[in-house]
Amino acid sequence: MNVRQEIFFALELPFRERLALERTVFEGGRGPRVAVVSGVHGDELEGLYVCHRLAAWLEQLAKQRPDALLGQVELYPALNPLGLDTLRRSVPIYDVDLNRSFPGRADGLLPHRVADAAMRALAGAALVVDIHASNVYLREIPQVRIARAFEGGLVPLARRMNLDLIWVHEAATVLENTIAHSLNARGVPCLVVEMGVGMRVTPSFAEQVVLGILHAWRALGVLADDVAIDPATHTPYIAHDGNVHYLNAEVSGVFVPSAAHWMALGERQLLGRIVSPLRGDVLAEVRSPVEGVLFTLREYPLVYEGSLLARIMETRR
Amino acid sequence: MSAERTLLHMTAPSREDFDVAYHDIGPQGQAPKLALVAGLHGNELNGVFVLARLASFLRRVAAGAHDEAQLLARVLVVPAVNVLGLNTRSRNWPFDGTDVNRMFPGYDAGETTQRIAAALLELTSQAEWRIDIHSSNADFEELPQVRLCESTEEERRAARWLGLPAVIERRANQTYQTTLASAWRSRGGRGLVVQAGHADSLQSHHCERLFRALIDFLERAGLLVGVRLAEPEEDVQLFGPRQSFPLISEHAGWFVSRLEVGQWLLAGELIGYVYDGFSGEQRAEVHAPVSGLLAGIRRQPLLCEGDLVARILTRHELGEVADTYLMGHGQ
Repeated sequence: MNVRQEIFFALELPFRERLALERTVFEGGRGPRVAVVSGVHGDELEGLYVCHRLAAWLEQLAKQRPDALLGQVELYPALNPLGLDTLRRSVPIYDVDLNRSFPGRADGLLPHRVADAAMRALAGAALVVDIHASNVYLREIPQVRIARAFEGGLVPLARRMNLDLIWVHEAATVLENTIAHSLNARGVPCLVVEMGVGMRVTPSFAEQVVLGILHAWRALGVLADDVAIDPATHTPYIAHDGNVHYLNAEVSGVFVPSAAHWMALGERQLLGRIVSPLRGDVLAEVRSPVEGVLFTLREYPLVYEGSLLARIMETRR
Repeated sequence: MSAERTLLHMTAPSREDFDVAYHDIGPQGQAPKLALVAGLHGNELNGVFVLARLASFLRRVAAGAHDEAQLLARVLVVPAVNVLGLNTRSRNWPFDGTDVNRMFPGYDAGETTQRIAAALLELTSQAEWRIDIHSSNADFEELPQVRLCESTEEERRAARWLGLPAVIERRANQTYQTTLASAWRSRGGRGLVVQAGHADSLQSHHCERLFRALIDFLERAGLLVGVRLAEPEEDVQLFGPRQSFPLISEHAGWFVSRLEVGQWLLAGELIGYVYDGFSGEQRAEVHAPVSGLLAGIRRQPLLCEGDLVARILTRHELGEVADTYLMGHGQ
C-alpha cells in the first residue's frame, strides 16, 4: 500500500501566499477508487475528524494487512481551507458558498476554480462521501440526504452507511450547484452525510460514520471481504418530504429545549419553550405536531420569528 | 395621497420590534402601477439612498408641492428590505447569514428571510411594473445599467426608458432562480433589475444618475408628468449575452487603475497595473483585449489569481465568453 499526501490544486493569493488544497491518497490494488470530502463549508468540522479517523484506520491497515486495500482511497478533508481558517461557512474574500459553485470552471473565480479542481480530481470514483455538519444553529443526527432523481442508485449504498436516517428529498433548483448534485449528474455516486453541529466535533457520530463508510467500502470491493470491521450499529429510518415536519419559531426569544436530540416524541409532547430575556414569562411552548423522532434540534438558543427549531420524522401514519 | 406602511412587523430576541416599511404614494384606491425595491442586500447603499430621496420627491409631488408636476398613479417604494443588514453593514441577513435575494418565492410560515421574501413578493406582485435596484459587491464598481434575463419585448423596450448607458442581457442561471426578479418572472408581469456602483459606500454621481433614470422611467411609463430634469438624454446601448467581455487576471498582487466606468476603450488601451505586494515590482500591465464600453472596474486592489479586473461591453458579438462573471455578488 502506498500512502502519499499531495497538493491537487494551488492558486496564488495577493500577498506572498498561495492557496494549496491537499489530499491524502492510500493506493492499494486495482480495485475501485473512493473518496471522502469535507470542509466544503468552513464552519463544519465533523468531516475533518472523520477523515482523521479513516486515515488512522488505513495507516493501521497498511501496517497489518496492506494487501487488504484492493482499491484506492482518497481523503479531501478541507476543500475550503480559507473558510476553515477564519471560521466562515463561505469562501472568504468572495463570500461565496463553495457548495453553490459546482461544477465550477477552470477559468472562473477562485471558488469556481476550486470546484472545478475537485470535480476533476473526483471523476471516475466509485463512491464519494461528502460530509457536512449542519451549521452553528442546528444539531443533526447522522443522516444521508438524497435527491429523488438519484434515489435508485444511492439508497442501497446509503443503507450500508450505519446512519440513523436516509432523507430522500425533492429536487431544489438551488441545490443543483452542489458538489453532490454535480458529481451524481456526471455519474459519480455521491452521498451527502449531515451530522452534528457547526464549529464542533462529535466523536460518537464520527465513529458511527467511520464504521458505515468502511462497510460501504468493503461492499464495493475497495477493501477485502475478510477485513475485520465491527458490525453495523444503526439501522436507518427512511424520511421523505411527506413525513418530515418543520417547527419554526412563532416568536423571537431564547429557545430552551426540554427534549433530547433523537428522542421519540408523542403527539403534542413538549419540545421546549421560547422565553423572553427581558421578562419572566414564557413566550411560546413548542410541541410536536405528530408522533415521531426528533432528528434536528436547535443548538443556538437565540431565535427570530421563523427560525427553525426542530425537524421531526413522523413514525406512525 | 401618501402613506408609510408596514410590509412586515418583526419581533427581535433581545431588543425592540422592528418593521420592514414602505412608502405607498399617489392616488389610493387603485392597484399600484410601479413597485421599486432596494436594499435586499444590506450593504448596497446606492439604491437605498436613491429610493428614499425619490420617495421624498414623489411625496411632495403627490401633495401638490411642485406646481406643474403630477403623479398620476400609485407607486410603492421599499427603500430597504434587509433592515437589519443595513444597520449592521451586512449584505446578508445578519442573524443567520442568509441572502434575502436567494429566498424567493419565500414561504410565509418558514425561516425569517423566507417570510420576508414571501411578504415582499406578495406586495410587489400587485404592481404592473417592478424594479429591483442593486449595487455590485464592494470590490467591483459597475456602471449604472439595466440587467435583463429571459425578458419580454415589452421589458426590453421599458429598459430603455431608464436612459441608463447600458442595457445588458444575460442568460438564465441556476444561481439566480431564487431571486426576486426570477420570482416576478414566474408570476408574470413586468420586472427590471438595475445595478449601479459598488457596495459599502455611496457613490453620489451614480446616485444622481439613478435618480434621473427613475424619474425618466416614471415619465415614459406615463405615471408622472410635468417634471423637467436638466441632464440631456443618454445614449442607451443594448448589449447581448455575447457582448460582455470579462477581463480576468492570471496574476495575483495589487491591481491599480485610474480609469472610470462609462468610458469607451480601444483594444490595447492600458487599463491598469498589477504590482507584487511584497517587492513592489510591477508584475503586469493590464490592457483592454477588445474595444468597448468600460462597464465595470475592480476597486479592490488585492487581487487573487483568476479575479475579475474589468468588464468591457463590445459593440459586436464576441465568441463564447464566460458570462459567469456577470454573476458577481451584486445581484
